[in-house]
Amino acid sequence: MRFVSHLDLQRFLMRALNRTCLPIAFSKGFNPHPLLSIAGALAMGHESDYEVFEVRIEGSIDKDTALKTMRDALPPDMPIKDVLFREDNFPSMMSLVKMADYVIMPQSSNAELCKAAESFKAMDSVMGIRKTKSGEREVDVRKLCIDISTDGEKLYARLMLTEQDTLKPDLLIKTLSDIAGIEPPACRYKRLKLLGTDRDGKIKPITEIGV
Amino acid sequence: MNISERIEELMPLVQKPSRYIGNEYNCVIKDAAKVDVRYAFLFPDVYEIGMSHLGMKILYHTLNKRDDTWCERVFTPWPDMMKLMEENGVPLFSQESRTPVKDFDILGITLMYEMSYTNILRSLKLAGIPLYAKDRKDGPFVICGGPCAFNPEPLAPFVDLFTLGDGEKSIHQCVDLFKSWRASGAPKEEYLKRALKEVDGAYVPSFYNVEYNDDGTVKRIEPKSGTGAPRLVKKALVNDLTAADYPEKLIVPFGEVVHDRIMLEIFRGCTRGCRFCQAGMIYRPVRERSIDRLMEIAEKLVNATGFDEISLMSLSSGDYSCLPELAHEMVEKFMAKRVKISLPSQRIDTFLKDTLKETQKVRKTALTLAPEAGTQRLRDVINKGVTEEDLMRAVTDAFSEGWSAVKLYFMMGLPTETDEDILGIADLAAKVRRCYFSVPKEKRAPGLRITVSASVFVPKPQTPFQWCAQLDSETVRHRQLLLKSELDKIKGVDYKYHEMDVSELESVFSRGDRRVSEVLKNAVENGCMFDSWTEFFNKGGWEKAFEDAGIDPAFYTVRERPTDEVLPWSHIDCGVSQAYLLREYEKARRAEITPDCRKGCQGCGLRRYEGACV
Repeated sequence: MRFVSHLDLQRFLMRALNRTCLPIAFSKGFNPHPLLSIAGALAMGHESDYEVFEVRIEGSIDKDTALKTMRDALPPDMPIKDVLFREDNFPSMMSLVKMADYVIMPQSSNAELCKAAESFKAMDSVMGIRKTKSGEREVDVRKLCIDISTDGEKLYARLMLTEQDTLKPDLLIKTLSDIAGIEPPACRYKRLKLLGTDRDGKIKPITEIGV
Repeated sequence: MNISERIEELMPLVQKPSRYIGNEYNCVIKDAAKVDVRYAFLFPDVYEIGMSHLGMKILYHTLNKRDDTWCERVFTPWPDMMKLMEENGVPLFSQESRTPVKDFDILGITLMYEMSYTNILRSLKLAGIPLYAKDRKDGPFVICGGPCAFNPEPLAPFVDLFTLGDGEKSIHQCVDLFKSWRASGAPKEEYLKRALKEVDGAYVPSFYNVEYNDDGTVKRIEPKSGTGAPRLVKKALVNDLTAADYPEKLIVPFGEVVHDRIMLEIFRGCTRGCRFCQAGMIYRPVRERSIDRLMEIAEKLVNATGFDEISLMSLSSGDYSCLPELAHEMVEKFMAKRVKISLPSQRIDTFLKDTLKETQKVRKTALTLAPEAGTQRLRDVINKGVTEEDLMRAVTDAFSEGWSAVKLYFMMGLPTETDEDILGIADLAAKVRRCYFSVPKEKRAPGLRITVSASVFVPKPQTPFQWCAQLDSETVRHRQLLLKSELDKIKGVDYKYHEMDVSELESVFSRGDRRVSEVLKNAVENGCMFDSWTEFFNKGGWEKAFEDAGIDPAFYTVRERPTDEVLPWSHIDCGVSQAYLLREYEKARRAEITPDCRKGCQGCGLRRYEGACV
């Protein structure tokens, strides 16, 4: 699934929803489509353990039926872990996302990168260039990285993920490679959690917020 | 690293890696150890095109219904991926299990258009399979079918076996024969010999000798003695489509493909008898699927795929005998699920206002109509059977129903065409424009757009125009400019035309003989592939390929063949007889029309086939 783009994933999920018995709400207009939204776009080539999408339904359905029909409609490499119900006035899952946890598996230069991560953590500010569709922007990579740790092989990082402040894990690796004075190695990236903050300010997975 | 891991390594480096993911929803995965026959089905073009091809879906489904066989899909990798695979020694692989194609028992290849021939050879190379059949001691049998198999000769040296005609039955016969042949331990040639008796529509090119005259034309095509090969190879025919296998699941691709919808074949064949149209000849007779069967298939496919559109496919869907009833039942049944019903290939004279209203309750895209020629005389020559009144009625109806965009398709270089016929195209466009303004302003949608598209006519084998010369490129260019300058005078009209080079190549390979196979081999060595994609068309590579083979393309393109010439495909019977084609050719030259054979048999020759046209 990691080579499926965000747009393709949306279309894929809409078709999967059409295959279920869920009472899905559709958009109005010439080409009605299921009201579906994915909490956080995943970069092409990245894997994930925790993705959340929301579907508006009309009427009600019990959790077991919803789980079963969704599981039947999706391939085994996209397992549905849980189904949660939220009222219409509950904030959208997308709006709850503030940060995300990643595990990064470099294919080479692991030791150098892990060492660089230690120095990086001790710094106050490390500037880097964030490339977006609208151009390049200088950002403080250190400030956008909430936490980082390593086991000598893999790196674990908690990075900002809001509309204004986002750090993509490949920019983190680029920054660490600059510190280590090496070419950025090929890496595998896996998202572990999408996180937000609860009313009491506690950081929690978005599916556990407000319940 | 195994092959799958090596492919994964390359995927981040290419455009659209989703082409190579495999494992799409509804794709068939089996235990390789538990099947007897591994069948690789190659569509020699990029994934998005191949995944839009109905024939492959039908054959994939019917083969995979068998417990003893696993059919997997193979596509030609896009040039970026192909380059990486070559550099990294990754061989051509199947989508389902990523098995090297070389390790399959049978490699089936579909021949949809001549401009995919270089991709076939490139794919064989990438698979590590020797190009020439005579050089292959082991590895899969290479079996080709599809419309281009009705002149198989340009590919003859590369292919073990062609199967002509409908594949639903013959593909099973190929597999059954493979099992019993392998059990017998007999040499490869024995499989091919037995295929002549056990596989409908089987043609083994290596069983024939072709002799040539001094002027380069074919002298005779003779079966080799002792092979048992017939003088005339008859095509396979599935008479009852209602009973024939049809997919009950369709693979749902991850990325966007050309036809992202359910394709429902409502009938096969066409009785109109347009003289330029190869499909109209080779897919005869007309065979309809029953409404009940279509409804049953449609429901299964909607539930199994989640697609939100069903396209009622055929060569001329307006001709389905109970179309209003079918369209109505479909719309009724699937409205609640928000599934749209669409009708491609509208004919001008069967414009069904009510059916259209019913099926097009969605955004109105451009209405496409194909008058094909600009004057009544030329439309009679090609037996298109539509009149100017038909066209004007159709567009007026469409404009008053809220359409404001019309696409008009024409061909340039049709037999007997003159500059006057080209001016007729501009005249029609101007009249269509007047129709729009004749509809009261409050009834019509704003923003009239007329697109005129004129492709260069390529005479096809097994049609009444198989003897005709293709129009020379100089005259084509002159007429393109003439049409452009005429259309420039009309407001709101766009003109689209095609480059001549590809049409010339298509012409060589559609009516070529065995000798042009060398040009293909040379072209592939010169790096030619994906020839119908402008960005990859390698003109220099092709010129050199012809030169090195000592072949002048003009011999195949602009030369009119006398009707007593032995045509390279004269040993191939596509259902309609050569006598009928000749009769139609003569009528064309007199601009005489032939009515639709549903209104009375025209003696096309199909009745020679058992169970057809009764």
